[in-house]
Amino acid sequence: MTPASSFSRGDSTAEALAGRVQDVAPFGIFTTDGDLVIRSWNQWLESHSGLTAANVVGSPLLDLFPVLRERHLDERYRRALAGEISILSTALHGHLLPLPPVDEDAGVPHMLQSARIAPLDLGDGQTGTVTIIEDVTQRECQAQILLRQQEHDRILSQASEALLRSDRPLDVMAGLFPRLAAALKLDVFLQFQFHPETKELHLHTAAGIAPELRRAMAVVRYGDNLCAQVAEWRRPVIENRLEEKSEPIFRLARQLGLRSYAGFPLLINERLLGTISFGSYERPVIAPDELEFLAQISLSVAVALDRAQREASLETRVAERTASLNETIAQLESFSYTIAHDLRAPIRSLTNFSDILLVEYAAHLPAEAQDMLRRLRRAGQRLDDLTRDLLSYSRLDGKRLKLERIDLDEVVRDIIAVAPALQPPTLDIPAPLGAVTAQRTLLQQCLSNLFDNALKFAAPGTPARILVRAEKNGPWRRIWVEDNGIGIDPAVHRKIFDLFERIPGGLEVEGTGIGLAIVARATQQMGGTYGVESAPGSGSRFWLELPAA
Amino acid sequence: MELSPPQTDALTELINIGYGRAAGALSELTGYRVSLEVPRIGMHRIEEIPPLLAEMVRSDVATVTQVFSGPLAGTAMLILDEKAAMVLSRLLSDEKNNPGGFDANGREIISEVGNILLNACLGVFGNLLQVQVTFAMPQLQVSAAGRVLESVSIEREELQYGLMVHTRFQVRASNVTGFLVIVLGITSLDRLLHELDNWEHRQTSP
Repeated sequence: MTPASSFSRGDSTAEALAGRVQDVAPFGIFTTDGDLVIRSWNQWLESHSGLTAANVVGSPLLDLFPVLRERHLDERYRRALAGEISILSTALHGHLLPLPPVDEDAGVPHMLQSARIAPLDLGDGQTGTVTIIEDVTQRECQAQILLRQQEHDRILSQASEALLRSDRPLDVMAGLFPRLAAALKLDVFLQFQFHPETKELHLHTAAGIAPELRRAMAVVRYGDNLCAQVAEWRRPVIENRLEEKSEPIFRLARQLGLRSYAGFPLLINERLLGTISFGSYERPVIAPDELEFLAQISLSVAVALDRAQREASLETRVAERTASLNETIAQLESFSYTIAHDLRAPIRSLTNFSDILLVEYAAHLPAEAQDMLRRLRRAGQRLDDLTRDLLSYSRLDGKRLKLERIDLDEVVRDIIAVAPALQPPTLDIPAPLGAVTAQRTLLQQCLSNLFDNALKFAAPGTPARILVRAEKNGPWRRIWVEDNGIGIDPAVHRKIFDLFERIPGGLEVEGTGIGLAIVARATQQMGGTYGVESAPGSGSRFWLELPAA
Repeated sequence: MELSPPQTDALTELINIGYGRAAGALSELTGYRVSLEVPRIGMHRIEEIPPLLAEMVRSDVATVTQVFSGPLAGTAMLILDEKAAMVLSRLLSDEKNNPGGFDANGREIISEVGNILLNACLGVFGNLLQVQVTFAMPQLQVSAAGRVLESVSIEREELQYGLMVHTRFQVRASNVTGFLVIVLGITSLDRLLHELDNWEHRQTSP
């Protein structure tokens, strides 16, 4: 039992209370006299310092703990003797007395303390000191853990964002490791990619190990090392104090000199994508909160990697299909070429030889044969027109057009110049047409096809009249081609713009059934729209709408 | 109550002596040069102080309070706005502290700083008056600025005055400002001012 210090002069109850408080208090309490000789040393101090009261009472404090003088804390005692109270904070002092920490795993050399030093009235005009010490190691460790968690959360949220934005998450992770290493005091980082067909792990990233060992680990199979075990077991492998382990699986880790290891599988729905491993040369143990953080990081990597792989495979599929489509397009183009060149040559021979027969040998041919030749020639001519139109249509193949400002009046003038049938009064343009954004050749073809149509489908017995006019429609300009022809049933208005569709009732008229399809496709290609207003017997009003210029 | 210019000068000088001692102790403790300055002081009736403080400090304040008794009795307080307290604790502890809040460590540091500062000033007063001043354990509390003096102003019948000392800490190229308030009863204040005149007289006489 330690001698009780007196808190109040000559009061035995107070003395007994003070003694009792000292014994049961969860603090270190010791008192000194005016010469700083220890007068009492409570039970808490006995159990935490390893020094019994019997050993220390009667010893000068500054001789027992010379470090107090070195740290100038003797001054605080002198001030206490002068009546002052001192607070010693943990952050500024760490500790007052160099006592061992209660928990050796706390990672601090001394018990962290917060202390109070106060004057103590010893009676008879004597002043001593009383010191109260609180062990705050636990509190500080908790605060450190909290700080660490905050830092982990910061890294995790930044990492997740970077990982999910990248199509190469393993590279992102490799870039992140230095920050992780600093925050967690880790030295080694390994990333393996798993190849399911061979059940091999291929090294992607290695940090903190010698190049020679890195080469030795380029390809790893089940049973080779801890990383392979992570892959084989499909679960995290945590190994602490590796220097104490001798099984073959630890051979590489020991060769590296690792003291602790944590490996995580990159798993998505039981599908193994790879492994990610961390290690330390210094730390014998990786703390549970750190393991949880590493597991979360690994999960983020797995999710990002899975997503990146899916996207890559989607891109591959898209690329494959695009290639196959391009091939089809190339075949079609080659087919068009065949029509244009190989098919038209014999047709032209047919019509040319018919012409020669009609001109050179007309005298030798009976009238019936001449008529047959004329029909033959017309059929040949139609066949040539048909192939020519098909070729034009196929050339509208979706390539980007160079659009420019086109003067509509100029285009119409060019068409009329080479078409005697379109001279006034057949074609009437009452007012200037203005300009549009278009491609000259396509626009010329569209209008020319519409004019041809109007001529072809004129009402029997009535001279064809074509009215061309234009009107502004918001940002668009609509060009109307109106005729007084046979008209078209509204039921087929949409259909007539399809390939090989003919205007009903115009069967006796020569035509390829391609003209309006070309108008439709060309207008669309120039970013415009088209349409027709018509009814049988009341003529047709075709229109094209293109961006006004 | 107004202090005469010579009294203001004498008090400022006296507090500067205490601050010098406190700054020396803090510098030695932290390894950084810490200087403490007194830009100005003022004497106010105690009930005038809370509105004054509330006007100057909008946030909560951390207050280290130390009661002293003896021939000179009263309450001494170091008042820092919470953010300044946090910054000061970080500056003094090598920024090891939690940057996110005023945690247990930060509160302890401010308690110790307050303790050193209040001891230094009161020590100087004690020496001046050549009397033993007895100190109670310093207490730290965080509250609204206007409520700091509540516990002091209640219970006392005697007219009380507060000596308000604007205080500037300079640590590692940063400035942190706060207030030191010493609340004294009229008797203690009378005695202090009387001794102050004597001290000044002693200083100026050959």
